[in-house]
Parts: sequence; structure tokens; C-alpha cells
Amino acid sequence: MSSGTGNPSIPLFDLRIEDDDLAAVAETIRSGRLALGERTERFEQAFAAHLGARHAIALSSCTAALHLAYLAAGVGPGDEVIVPSYTMAATASAVLQCGATPVFAEIVGRERPSLDPDDVARRITERTKAVAVVHFAGYAAAADRLAALCDERGLALIEDAAHAPDASLGGRALGTFGLAGAFSFFSNKVLSAGEGGLLCTDDDDVAAFARSRRSLGVVRGADGSRDVEGVGFNYRMDEPHAALLLSRMRRLRADVERRRELTLRYRELLAGLDGVLVPYDDADVATCSAYVMPVMLEEDRQVEVSRRLREQGIQTSILYAAVHGFTAYRERFPDVSLPRTEHAARTELTLPLFPTMTEAEQDRVVGALAEAVAA
Amino acid sequence: MSAPTRISLVDETSCEADVEAVLDCLRSGWLTMGPRTQALEQRLGELTGAAHALAVSSGTAGLQLALQAAGVGRGDEVVVPALAPVSAAAAVAALGAVPVLCDVADPLAPHAGPKQVEPAIGPRTRAIVAVHLHGHLADAAALRELADARGLVLVEDCSSALGAPGAGVAGALGVFSFAAGRQLAIGEGGLVVAADESHAARVRSLRSHAMTSGTWDRHRGHDPRYDVVDAGYNFRLDEPRAALALTRLERLAGEVDGRRALLARARERLRGRDDVALVFNALSVEAASPAALPLALPDGARRDRFAAALDELGVPSETLPALHAFSAYREVPGGARPQAEAAAARTCLLPLYAALGDDGMGFLLDAVEQALTRTG
Repeated sequence: MSSGTGNPSIPLFDLRIEDDDLAAVAETIRSGRLALGERTERFEQAFAAHLGARHAIALSSCTAALHLAYLAAGVGPGDEVIVPSYTMAATASAVLQCGATPVFAEIVGRERPSLDPDDVARRITERTKAVAVVHFAGYAAAADRLAALCDERGLALIEDAAHAPDASLGGRALGTFGLAGAFSFFSNKVLSAGEGGLLCTDDDDVAAFARSRRSLGVVRGADGSRDVEGVGFNYRMDEPHAALLLSRMRRLRADVERRRELTLRYRELLAGLDGVLVPYDDADVATCSAYVMPVMLEEDRQVEVSRRLREQGIQTSILYAAVHGFTAYRERFPDVSLPRTEHAARTELTLPLFPTMTEAEQDRVVGALAEAVAA
Repeated sequence: MSAPTRISLVDETSCEADVEAVLDCLRSGWLTMGPRTQALEQRLGELTGAAHALAVSSGTAGLQLALQAAGVGRGDEVVVPALAPVSAAAAVAALGAVPVLCDVADPLAPHAGPKQVEPAIGPRTRAIVAVHLHGHLADAAALRELADARGLVLVEDCSSALGAPGAGVAGALGVFSFAAGRQLAIGEGGLVVAADESHAARVRSLRSHAMTSGTWDRHRGHDPRYDVVDAGYNFRLDEPRAALALTRLERLAGEVDGRRALLARARERLRGRDDVALVFNALSVEAASPAALPLALPDGARRDRFAAALDELGVPSETLPALHAFSAYREVPGGARPQAEAAAARTCLLPLYAALGDDGMGFLLDAVEQALTRTG
């Protein structure tokens, strides 16, 4: 394909729904029960067991999960939440939704674009209520160090594990280090269902809070009476989505394993390629979810290389711009400067990665990339 | 078919066309807002007569977006009838605004009109929510006149009223729900309609993180970069639900006609009794897209006995408490609401949907008569 538009021949991600997934959804629709049913409960139990968490609450999106997690941590008007800027905007917008202020912190660097715990520690004030950490591209950030820091300073740690449904650090599942973890099932994610999210927690009160607030704040008394406590939302997941996720979870481990293999192969093929820095280490890959394949280019090459690959029929993307650079945040917080984040954001390019990707496709991507960066 | 022994509160039937529509979408591999959502929005725009129609994740989310587009923010007040779904007050509170709960006209005509809304308007009021209760239209034209005169925005809560002609287009914005039990039920989902392009643009932006381009656009080869221009949400509908809504939309007219016919039959049979009253008048029924069969008992104690007796006879029912009966909204302003409280105490909401059919409705009405006898 020579044109710059139309369907790419190697897409960024390729979502394939298998026959058993289709059967699970078909059976759910035939049951007629499309909301508030047993499939959601079964999915929640399966996901909690998968993480080794006490509770999992299925939700309409990861943004909803972050919002409920912050609220459960007591975040409200006047409070501050320390968040990375190198993330999807929702990590910060859910703080604004609580009426609180996101305080942006730095990443370690382009070679490890995860939240820097030392920078987080420097930004704690008396108004800080919580810290949000993102497991960028599915690679573990220093959740253990951040959990210790938060414990010491009396803060809540919230993990934005949108990219990391099957990843760990020191043998412990990502998402389970803090007060709550937030997961995404958006269609380009490792475990995907279109739209969807989930909050996990070991805290019974946080779980009860999330269950009530996802459904307008409704609580039921032991006698079956119904009350509404506090401000609630409709953040429910419906039954067909829960059925689809429950079915697709059976392939999660194998999918992630294949993603890791492809990632290691990418790393091998890209090693030593001038002008291309591959973040994280080979050793990190074994426990990550390998959500996407980010590479860092030289200055001023990002959009041009993306266009050159597009001309070869290869779709790429920029995983994230720096959130503090978006209009909505520049207007509110004009003086934020995060050089490492900004450098990563303006040089990163995300290459195609999906479990059904072939080695031939991967070779084509690497060849086209080598040609583009040399041009 | 044998006579039923118990009927379900909401319609839980589905057909193979529903299954095929969703499976087709899943097989396509494109699940997030795309061509099916666009087609649904176009069809629903035509159906409601609104200039703009935007699919969202739920009716509650839709109300929040509509109110925010109307300019409601922290510290503002919004007048909401005290007899309304929880979502109407929750959407206001979610914006950091205060729902001011006004009374309704009468237990047998339980809408809030200008007479009830006007005293609740104060210097911080930004908007009025008209609630089309149980699918019966409130006098939105009169409320629009009041809103215009006072410089306020009228938002219509049509969460139970899809299919009622004119619903959602008297106000600046209108909101529909596709939750279980609705005329168009898809699990979770909703729609915002707007007359004004600027309101629609705000809703469109805020429902998807206020990003200047979507995943679909980027997939189609547009510039990979985007800006975020506001603090938005993920209030998107997705393609599998849009696919289900599109196929079920073809049956909507039949669903609404079926509900109207069954409601007319119920009213005919229960008319003139002194132990139960029909909520809403005949004129209102003709214009409605009925969402339930609301019956008013002489008092709250008898309503509770009636509901218990009905349940034993195989007919589940619901009640709608006044919003200020809930802990979360007990302290909100709005003055005395005697009519809303009487309506909440006396009213029993019985199942009503086309799939009940004549047999189901016959069973239901037999049960009503028996339960009334037992209730005394």
C-alpha cells in the first residue's frame, strides 16, 4: 500500500475474538439477562483469583476504576494526588473529577519510562493524599518502593494497571501493591472487550465502597431495604462484557507469553540499531504483560518515521504525549516542567505487537524501521 | 403456551437477530466507538427528531454530560423533581452541584410543573431537569418557557421515555437510557440529544476524555497526535452494544405499541374501583411510551400489603421512593414535598412490556384483583 490512509496491512493491534468467546456472548444474550447478573460475579471471582486479590469489582472503564479508587482513598477538593505525566490522561483527569489537584512527577528516564519514586518523594506536601503509579506498557514500575514510601508517609498508593493484567514484581501481581489497582479492558488492551474496567483491592471497606458507588450509591440492608449513601455513578459492567472477558481470560496467560516472546525477538532484532533505543531490560520482559512495543527515536524523528512506516503499510502510534503538555492541563498548571517525560514523549514510537503477529510481519516492521531511521 | 405462574419484572426475552448482530460485530474485531455507533446515533437522531444524538455509556452518564454541557458546575444548583430516578440527583451531585428537590403536582399526576419548579429556583440555579416519569411526558414546553424566562437551561430526563413523541426535544438537551427494563434495553447504555451544536460538541468531547481525535480516526490513518482540551471521562458506548441497540431499534415501535395496548387494557379493567387509582390520565397515556403500570393505593400501609400479596401471586413490583428519603439526599434544599411523599408511599409499579402479551397481562390483572381483595 502506498497511500497514507486506509486500513494498514500490519496494524498496531489486532483483536481476534475466538469461537468460544462468541459462544459465551451468544449464550448470555439468549439468557435475556444483560445486566447485574451472575456472569459479572463469576468474572470478578476469576479475576480476583488470577491476581491473588481479595476483591475485584467489574466496572464500565479503567477511568471509572481510577475515579472510585481515588474517592475510596478519601481524595476530595483541596487534596493533591501525585501522578506521572507520562500516561493516558485519565490517570490525571480522574483526580480533577474528584475536585482535587494532580501533581505531576517525573519518570526515571527514556530507558525506563516508569514513575521515579525519588521524584515522587520530593513532591509530597501536607496536602498530598495519594500517589498513582502507572505500569507503563505493562512493565512493572517500582510499586514496592512506592508502597513503602506511601506507608511511611500515610498516603494511599493507587496502581493504574491498565496495561498490566498479567504482570508481576517480585512474584506479586501488579495492581495488588497499594490500596487499589485499576485495570482496563479497552479494545486495544491485553485483555479486551471493547469497553470495560475493574478495581481490585484487599480492603473490605474499599470493595464495599466501590460496589455501592458503581451503582448510584445504592446499599442494601440485611432486611432487603434500599438506601442511597453518598454520590454514586453508573459505572456498571454489563453481562455480555463480563461473559466475553471470562471467556477470553482463559487465553490471557498464553497471549501474554506470546507477547513476551515477540518482545524478546524485537529486542534481539533491534539491538545495535543506530537511532533506536529500546526501553527496559530483557530481564523485565519475563514478568511484564508486554502490552505494546515502545522504542525511543532521535529528536525530531517521531512523526516522520511514523509516516514512513505508514507508507510501508505499517501502523504505529505515539503511546503517550506528556499529560502536562495538553491544553487542559497547561491552562490549569502552566508551570510544570518535566524534561525526562517530555524527552520520552517526543521521541517514542509504538510498534505493532499482538499475539497473532507472525515473525515475517515482525521482520518487515524491523526492516522498515531500520530503513526509516537511516533515511 | 401454558398460563404463566410468575412473570418477570422486566422483559428478558431475546431473539436470534440480537445474537447475530452482536456476534457479527465481535467477528469484525472492531469493538470501540466506530461505524455501528455512528449508525445508531444517526437512527436515534431521526427517531427523536433531535439535531444531534450522541451514544453514551449510560443514562446517568448522559445526564452528567448534558448538565455539564449546560454549564452546571461546582456550587451550582439544579432543580430536580423529588420523585425521580436516583440517577437524576446523582448526575447533579457528581458535578459538585446541589440538586434542589421540588414537589410534584399530585400523586395521580406525579410530574413537577412550573408551579412546583419555580419556588425552587434561586440565585445559584443553572438548570432544570424535567423528568418524564415512567415514560409519561411532563409538560416540557411549559418548563422550557419558565427556564427561558429565568435564563436557565432545561434538560429532559427521558430515561424511561424512548418512543414517546417529542421526548427530549423541548429542552436544550435530553437524555435516554438503554438499561434493563427500558423500551430499548441493551444491558447498559444511554443517549444524549441536543438541539444546539455547541452543546453536542461539548458532550461529544467530554464523553471521550476531551481528546481531539479517537482511536478510530487514528486507525484510519489520521495524525497520531492529539490534544486533550478539558477534564473529560470515559462515557463511551462500544460497538457490541451499538450493534445490539441497532437491531433492537427495529422492534421499538412494536414494543411501544404493545406497551400502550396492554396499559390501555389494564386501565380499562381497573377503572372505577375505589380501592385503587390509576396514575396519570388518559390523555397522558396516549402520548406516553409507558415504562410501567403505576397504581396508587389509598395509603402507604395498603400499598405495602398489596405489593406483598401481588408478589405471592407471582407478580413482582417496584416502588419509587422520593429522593429525599435516601440518606445521600436527605439534607438537600427544596422545601416541603407532600405530594411527592404521598406518591412515593402510595404507588406500586407493576411490570409492563410487550412480551407480557395478553396472557401475561391477563395473569397480572387477575393477580391485581385478588391482591386488592386480600389487601382490604
